Amino acid sequence: MNALSQAIAQRRVLVCVGAGGVGKTTVAATLALLSAVEGKRSLVCTIDPARRLANSLGLKELGNEESPIPPKLLEEAGLPPRAEVRAMMLDIKKSWDETIGRFAPPEARERILQNRYYQTLSTTLAGSQEYIALDKLWQLRHQRDYQMIVLDTPPTTHALDFLDAPNRILDFLDNDAARWLLLPALKASKVGFKLFSFGGNFAAKTLSRLTGTQLLADLADFMFAISGMYAGFNERAKGVRDMLASSETSFVLVTTPSAQRLAETVRFHALLRENRMDVAAVVVNRVHPPVPEEARAEASSQPPALKAKLEQTFLEAAALAAHDRAAIASLTKQVSPTPLVEVPRFDLDVHDVMGLAKLGGHLLGRAVRSA
Amino acid sequence: MAGLFDQRLLVVSGKGGVGKSTIAAALALESLRRGKRTLVCEVNADERVSGLLGHKPVGPEVGRLELNLWAVDIRPPDALKEYALLRIHSERVYRLVFENRFVRYFLRFLPALQELVMLGKVTFHLQEKLPDGRPRFDLVIVDAPATGHAISFLSVPQVLLDTVPPGPLSDETRIMRDLITNPSITQAVLVSLPEEMPVNETLDLHRALAEKVKLKTGAVILNQMLPRRFAEEDLAALTPAPHALAVARAQSARAALSEDARARLATLAAPVLEVPRLSVDPFDRQAIEQVRAALAPRLEEQ
Repeated sequence: MNALSQAIAQRRVLVCVGAGGVGKTTVAATLALLSAVEGKRSLVCTIDPARRLANSLGLKELGNEESPIPPKLLEEAGLPPRAEVRAMMLDIKKSWDETIGRFAPPEARERILQNRYYQTLSTTLAGSQEYIALDKLWQLRHQRDYQMIVLDTPPTTHALDFLDAPNRILDFLDNDAARWLLLPALKASKVGFKLFSFGGNFAAKTLSRLTGTQLLADLADFMFAISGMYAGFNERAKGVRDMLASSETSFVLVTTPSAQRLAETVRFHALLRENRMDVAAVVVNRVHPPVPEEARAEASSQPPALKAKLEQTFLEAAALAAHDRAAIASLTKQVSPTPLVEVPRFDLDVHDVMGLAKLGGHLLGRAVRSA
Repeated sequence: MAGLFDQRLLVVSGKGGVGKSTIAAALALESLRRGKRTLVCEVNADERVSGLLGHKPVGPEVGRLELNLWAVDIRPPDALKEYALLRIHSERVYRLVFENRFVRYFLRFLPALQELVMLGKVTFHLQEKLPDGRPRFDLVIVDAPATGHAISFLSVPQVLLDTVPPGPLSDETRIMRDLITNPSITQAVLVSLPEEMPVNETLDLHRALAEKVKLKTGAVILNQMLPRRFAEEDLAALTPAPHALAVARAQSARAALSEDARARLATLAAPVLEVPRLSVDPFDRQAIEQVRAALAPRLEEQ
C-alpha cells in the first residue's frame, strides 16, 4: 500500500494544496473517486470553475450544491464505486453571504452585505478564499455524513496565506486599534460621521485628508455592524484549526518538478510540518519520463533521415527528464520523510474519466484495472 | 499601424507559469537593441527579470542594470510610502501617521489600495522627465500579475472612479486610467502556451482587457511552440518499432497542440508571435537572447 492508498483508507479529510497550474483540481477529484472505489461515501469540493472536470465527471457543470457523479460512467472507466461520490464547486461570494446570514443579526445583515469593506472581505482580501473554503470544509465534515471529503484549495504560492487565513479574518473582524478609534466616534455621532469625531487623533485626521472621510465612515459602519459576530467566527476558526490538526485529516501537497516550484514546495511542506499538520504525500505531477533504451535501439536501425528526427526528439526528451530527475532528487531530500508520489506527464491533458482513472493508477502506485 | 515599440508602456500578462518574466526580459533586450532607455517594473513578485538578465535583484527603488536599462521591484508597502511622501513631504509626519496601528489596519483593508499605489508608481515613472524635457524612460515594461489578478490590477482606476467620492484620490486615478486606456501609449502583451487551458485563459484575458479595462492587446506571444517533426509516413514506417513509435507519437501529440493553439489564437485581432521551445539549461541571459532573436523578425513586421 502506498502513502496515498493508506491516507484514503485511514483519513476522513484530505486537503490538496499547492500553486496554480499544477493539476491540483484533477488530483483532488481523482482521490475522491478512488475513495469511493474503496467503499467510502465521498465528496470532492473544488474552488476553480473547472468546467472540463465537470464534463469529464459526467456533470454539466459544478455548482455550489453537491451533485452525485453517475456510477455508470465510473464503472465504464474501470473505477466501479462501492459508495456514492459527489462533486461540488465552492462559490466564494455565495458562501460568504451564507456565513454572514448565519452569524449576523437580521437587522445588520443588509448593512453588512452592502458595505464596501464587506465586498473586499468576501472577494479580494488576502486569505478570504482560503478562510471560506476551510469554513465550508468544517460544515461539510460536521453536518454531513461523508466518510471522505477531498478539498481542492485556492492556488497559493504563499503557504502562509492558507494556514494563517483564519487569523487574518479574525483580525479584520476584531482589530482593537480600529475599535478603539472608530466605535466611540461612531457612537458619539450616529447621524453624521465627521472629521471632528476623531477628536485629537492626528493620524486619522491626516489619513482622512488623503482618502476623504467617506471611506473611514464606511469602515466604522462595518466594524459596528459586525461587532456582535466575532464570537461566532472565533469559535468556528478554532474548530477549523482542530479539524486540520486532527488525526482524521491529511494534506496532499501537489507540485510539478520545475525549478521554479521546488523552493515553494519545500517551504510549504516545512510550514505544514511546523504547524503539526500531517502531510500524506507530495504528489509530483507531470514528470517527463526518460527515453526508453528500447526506443534508442530501435532508432539505430532506421533510415538516416528518420533516425536523425528520432535522435533529435530523444535529445530534447532526455534533457527534460534529466532536469526533472534532479528536481525530484532534491525535493526527496528536503521533504524527508514525507513520501513522494510521481505522476508521469501524459501525452495529452487529462480530459475524461479514463484520464482520471489512469491518473488514479499512478497516485496509488499501481495500475487501476481498466475496462 | 504603430508597433509595440512605438508604445510607452507594455503590460505583459498571462496564466501563471507561461513565461511572462521570460518574455518581459526578451522585450527589454529588444528595446535596448533599439537604443531605448528602458525600465522594467516587476509587480509584487519575486523579482525574476533582473535575474534572468544576469543581474542582481534591484529592490524597491529604480536601479540601473546596464546602459539604458533600469529595473524596479514594486511592492505595496514601499509604493504606498512613496505615494504618501509625495503628498505629505515629511518623513516625520509619515511615520506618525502611517506607522499608527489603526492606520496600518485601515490601509490593509482599503479596497484596492495596494493595486492603486503599485499602478501609480508605474504611471509615475512613465511620466518622469529628464531636465531637457524628454521622458526619463522611452519604454516601460511591466511584468504584470497572472490573469485574474492582472484584470483586477489594471481595472482598479476605473473601479475607484466609480466608487470613491470626488477628491484628491480620484483626480490622480483619472490620470492613471487615461494613460492605461490610451492605445497609442499603452498596450498589453499576452503570453500563452500551446496547451488548452493557457489558450482558454488568453482568450478570456484578451476579452476582459478589451471590455473591462479598455486596454488594447498589441501582441499575443505563443511560447514554447513545437514543430511537427514526423510525417505520417514516418509514423507508418515505425510500426515495427513500437518504443520509438511511442516517442514519435508523443512528439506529434505535442506538435498537434501547438497547431491547435495557433489556430485558436488566430481568431484574435492582435498579431500572434511564436517562440519555439528551447531546451536550454540553465535558463540564463543567453537563453533570453535566443527568445529575443526568435521574436525579432516578427516584431519588425509589427
